[in-house]
Amino acid sequence: MTITEKIMAINSGRDKVVPGQLVWTNIQSVMTMDYLGTETFKAFDSLGKSEVFDKERVICVSDHLVPPPTPAFATLLNQWREAVKAHDIKHFYDLGRQGIAHQIMVEQGHVLPGTLSIGTDSHANTYGAVGAVGNAVSVSDAAVAMATGKSWFRVPETVKFHITGKWQPWVMAKDLSLHIMGMMHWNGHLIYKTIEFDGPAISDLGMAGRMTLCNMTVDLGAKNGIIAPDAKTAAFLSPVQKGSWNYVTSDADAVYEKVYEVDVTNLVPTISMPDKLDEVRRVEEVQGTKFNKAFVGTCTNGRLEDIEMIAKILKGKQVHRDVNFMLVPASTQIYLDAIKAGYITDLIEAGVAVDTPSCASCAGIHTGVAGDGDIVLSAGNRNMKGRMGSKNAQIYLTSPAVVAASALTGVITDPRNL
Amino acid sequence: MTIKGKAWVSDNYVMSYDMVLQKDWTSPINKEENAKWIMAGVSDEFNQEGAFRDAGYTFIVARHNFAGGGKSIEHCVTGLMGAGIKAVFADSFARLQFRNAINYGLPFITCKDIADIARTDDELEFNPSTGEIKNLSNGKSKISVPVSPFVAEVAEAGGIMDFIRKRIAEGTVDELR
Repeated sequence: MTITEKIMAINSGRDKVVPGQLVWTNIQSVMTMDYLGTETFKAFDSLGKSEVFDKERVICVSDHLVPPPTPAFATLLNQWREAVKAHDIKHFYDLGRQGIAHQIMVEQGHVLPGTLSIGTDSHANTYGAVGAVGNAVSVSDAAVAMATGKSWFRVPETVKFHITGKWQPWVMAKDLSLHIMGMMHWNGHLIYKTIEFDGPAISDLGMAGRMTLCNMTVDLGAKNGIIAPDAKTAAFLSPVQKGSWNYVTSDADAVYEKVYEVDVTNLVPTISMPDKLDEVRRVEEVQGTKFNKAFVGTCTNGRLEDIEMIAKILKGKQVHRDVNFMLVPASTQIYLDAIKAGYITDLIEAGVAVDTPSCASCAGIHTGVAGDGDIVLSAGNRNMKGRMGSKNAQIYLTSPAVVAASALTGVITDPRNL
Repeated sequence: MTIKGKAWVSDNYVMSYDMVLQKDWTSPINKEENAKWIMAGVSDEFNQEGAFRDAGYTFIVARHNFAGGGKSIEHCVTGLMGAGIKAVFADSFARLQFRNAINYGLPFITCKDIADIARTDDELEFNPSTGEIKNLSNGKSKISVPVSPFVAEVAEAGGIMDFIRKRIAEGTVDELR
């Protein structure tokens, strides 16, 4: 069996499962967040249970609406806080201790290798970075899992990406994500599949890069993305893990629907063209294109390693005067770590605006949303029309390194040319 | 028993982002309310309160990856149901909304190239037992992929919430595996 099949078998009390099989599995953690959370608890309340299945394993996070930009959202947040309190939820990451839910789930050890966790936001696929099955679900699914500790799954076929070679300077996991997006197409062949990443270039990636890769598998249409746990996973989880776990990995004779090979030695800084995530170019092909807004943050690229990368590029220099650059760290912990490392000072001195952790403009809700005519260079995950605000804005998606290098010149710039 | 009615056929890729505009993501989940603005971003003609609902369609016919783009919110499905949609036929469905449709018992029926035999306002007839989708306006028909027993069971129960409610009341949740 593949790692995803094994996780589904173990957590549904079976020796074996096969793709296509329908199983109910135990759930490690259920996440819900501010703008859907009140509805989730309302749905839970209608099921006939007085308490959630485990108050330690329902995780509540404020991320999309904080800090509230409108009175309506402030009111919604108040209702959400009441609902969390009424259900006696033990882990509530509210404004002041907040972060983007998917970052919080992994960073705070709520996701454990060899288990399944779900969340009411599409990028729950991020949890695969620690060798877990992470899945995005609706309010109804989350309510069912809160009541029963279970969720239903159709065991997916596994597609493997075997990643080899040596990472080149200024090339990041995001470039690999976008490269694969270009290979497979957004609208394409990976619907319902599980994507397993392995190979030496995956072992070389830190947890931040692994999270970026798994995060964007939802944008490939996949059910989940997963990377088997290793010593790096164990070291990352050891201070924070909420429970014990076992190594679960794919068997040597696991059956894959298809195996793709990518050698990162040849991978270059990569960019997605506005409106079309899978219309992917080498950055050198669009070099010189003007833009006016730069954004680094999100559950895709708002981690310490990403902030370190942009600080390395911008330290002692100045963001071009025609560019507004916003950085929104993915969690309070990351924000603090970046302050302690001196990155935030370097970035503010370079002319970067830094805001408290949230989904920010990636959800088009607040903190630097795009207006008519804006051309945004974003390290986020989606660029369909209107994603960051106005439908009359253009969004290029790329790595934090490309955003930072371009912010210096005011035009799209390959960081290798700095 | 067959279902008969008028179809809306998409000539483009229909995204969840266009089915439910950003301003409506935070709305309560309610079929009647969600039907007021469902499909508002899909075309200009639907971008008015109740426009898609009042057009009186029973079916949607689409091509690949219907409701893709990544939203997991179930408003996409509750909105369609509130607007009177009884089934959606497409080459494939984005998995987040496919799951939601299963949870609500709204048939999302896979049928290759179904959009080749239908145009907007054609009258279709769907037979859930045989899987046949017949276009009564031009006489053409196709056979769709059968739904799995689990999907039928959830639909029969009235959706995943009722399916679970019943098991909680009976004390049989532990039997789910």
